[in-house]
Amino acid sequence: MNGTRTLVHLFSVALLLLWSAVLLYFYLSERVAAYLPPDGIFRPMVLVSGIGLAIVALFNLLTINSEEAGCEEHGCGHDHEHGHKHDGTCGHDHSHDHAHKEGTCGHDHTHEHHAGCGHDHSHGHKHDHAACGHDHSHDHAGHAHEHHHHGHGILEESGWPGRIAAMLVLAAPLTWAALQSPDRYSANAVINKGLYNQNYASTTRADQFTLRGDTAAAPKRAAPNVTPQPAEPLPPPAHLNDPAAVAKAAPPPPDKAQSYGTFTLEDLKKQVPQSKEGNFILEVPEIYYTAGDMEVQKVITGQSVETIAQVLPEKVNNAEGHRLRVFRMLVQCCAADARPYSVPVDFGKKAPEFKDMTWVKVTGKMAYKQEGGQTVPIIEATKVEETTAPADAMIY
Amino acid sequence: MLLAALPEPSRLGDVLMAFLSILFEGAPYILIGTVLSGLIAAFLDSRLLDRVLPRSRVLATFMAGFLGLIFPVCECAVVPVIRRLVQKGLPVSCAVTYMLSAPIMNPIVALSTLTAFKEFQKVTGWGEIGNATMTLSRLSLGYLVAVIVGLVVLRFRPADILKANVIEGITAAGKGDGGHAVPMGFNAKLIHAMRTAMGDFLDTAMYFTIGVIITSVFNTQVDQSILNTVAASEWLALPSIMGLAMVLSLCSTSDAFIAAPMAAFSMAAKLAFLVFGPMMDIKLLFMYSAVFKRRVVLALLIGLFILVGCLSEPWMMLIQKLATP
Repeated sequence: MNGTRTLVHLFSVALLLLWSAVLLYFYLSERVAAYLPPDGIFRPMVLVSGIGLAIVALFNLLTINSEEAGCEEHGCGHDHEHGHKHDGTCGHDHSHDHAHKEGTCGHDHTHEHHAGCGHDHSHGHKHDHAACGHDHSHDHAGHAHEHHHHGHGILEESGWPGRIAAMLVLAAPLTWAALQSPDRYSANAVINKGLYNQNYASTTRADQFTLRGDTAAAPKRAAPNVTPQPAEPLPPPAHLNDPAAVAKAAPPPPDKAQSYGTFTLEDLKKQVPQSKEGNFILEVPEIYYTAGDMEVQKVITGQSVETIAQVLPEKVNNAEGHRLRVFRMLVQCCAADARPYSVPVDFGKKAPEFKDMTWVKVTGKMAYKQEGGQTVPIIEATKVEETTAPADAMIY
Repeated sequence: MLLAALPEPSRLGDVLMAFLSILFEGAPYILIGTVLSGLIAAFLDSRLLDRVLPRSRVLATFMAGFLGLIFPVCECAVVPVIRRLVQKGLPVSCAVTYMLSAPIMNPIVALSTLTAFKEFQKVTGWGEIGNATMTLSRLSLGYLVAVIVGLVVLRFRPADILKANVIEGITAAGKGDGGHAVPMGFNAKLIHAMRTAMGDFLDTAMYFTIGVIITSVFNTQVDQSILNTVAASEWLALPSIMGLAMVLSLCSTSDAFIAAPMAAFSMAAKLAFLVFGPMMDIKLLFMYSAVFKRRVVLALLIGLFILVGCLSEPWMMLIQKLATP
């Protein structure tokens, strides 16, 4: 191996180790909890790939001086930095007419060809190999070009400016993000992700009410039903399970909540934990989804609820300044797809002031109002106090 | 085990946060893809592909669309894999079809789509399989679009499609394996595999990084509620939801969970999101440029946008009609 090749090899190993270190650090420090959901395979995959990258890196580090097979392939083609053009040399047979010698596939190509490695003439010169297939091996004696190394990707195939740029792209953003990521979003991102977007009408998935995933405890919630309630709850026909199909069959006004089957206070008590004071402890997305479910609305209206969420000023229907907006971020598969689920909190008088994004515990009675053609769930606050952030800032 | 107190949230912090989360989601699959590509480069005998593939290129392209069922990979893993497969003699048309269909036509994605759209409950037996409308239309349209693009690629020479350094691989491998392949020791092959994997990982990860940076800026700095106002419009819903797929750069194994709750959009619009997203997004735009010529990547972007945009609406209607006789 010549100097450049060794250096590039070492840089490659270092970059792999850097990626591995960041993945392992975020997994082991449990900071990954702010980025990926606990269920599914995403978090374990961070650990697996951290270890995997370290193995690949160390393997390559230990075998840096070993010889490599596969020179009959393109994969380890040399990179010629030609100062000449090959135009017109078509008809030549590119490599492979010469003897293949294992191990001699040019880790240190200085001038002459050792063995028949497939040359990788890339970057920086123009000739169409596919069209003509040169045999460079015969021309090479006359060329004063340097054989740098095998081509194993952009780091090995480029010149130094390209290499340095590639290494910067690979190392800098990752390092910067690992050192400087706050592990939580600012108000700006929350607003851009749609905080003030009044979409309470789009709650056709009110069956998500049981966000805790405890469907066993709530068999009735799993089956949306458009028809007015029959005497006994029965599993609806299969085609009614799809909210979209249902909407097609009997389009309800988009601003109206739908019927999802019987629901009683007992059901609510069975599904939702209550605080010492008897408040139903709900997450903001759960409160959000109640707006799409007529029966739940009926039961929960006027009930005391309690929720912990982050607060931002209310900017919709808030002429008198009586309201705040509380939200939680809900994540499906990674923090990049986090969406804020929010509800207004009404104080009936001037709302207290909080620093943006403060975590608060809100207690109040549930109310539903028609605003802007939508049924908006509102917490009519009886109490609000600053509190500490929950263990998982985002809901997965 | 924190190194230091975390920085305060800021606009920049938002970008870094989104960047890391997509990176953590995608990097493991890039590693899987590149280790696979290293093993292909070192161990796969290119004569094997010749033997397995049908003589007819057209037939082979149709078959390549189903390869994802046997080798399920998502879009981050498939890019390095097809580069090596092409160099092992897989026709470019097959490679493109496999690349576009594998992230959709694969069992993991079928499962996640069934789950996200709650279609499991609706399919109680083979007779009711038509009730899984979204899953069926997603897989079938994904397959169709991939094969169409593959057949278009058939009309071009590899040199028109692929980057020069990828082309050389084919030339070298094609010539080299024509009888003079020298048997190599296992260790030497393994070293070759690992070196290739390392190079391919850094290659792919570099393009991935650039794509994820742009995605995370869009993701956190641009007001996305604009999209909801657009969703209601018949003409703008499809382009805007495909634009969203482009910008979000989601993994195909999980994008159904994002699409399902978007009640503002029609089923056809969601179908467009779920077919276009795995084939083209910002990170893929950059990852594709490691393999394809720049104008090919651009043509793919425009072609897929138009193809998926035009086909989603009628395709959804067709499947719905078939499902409810």
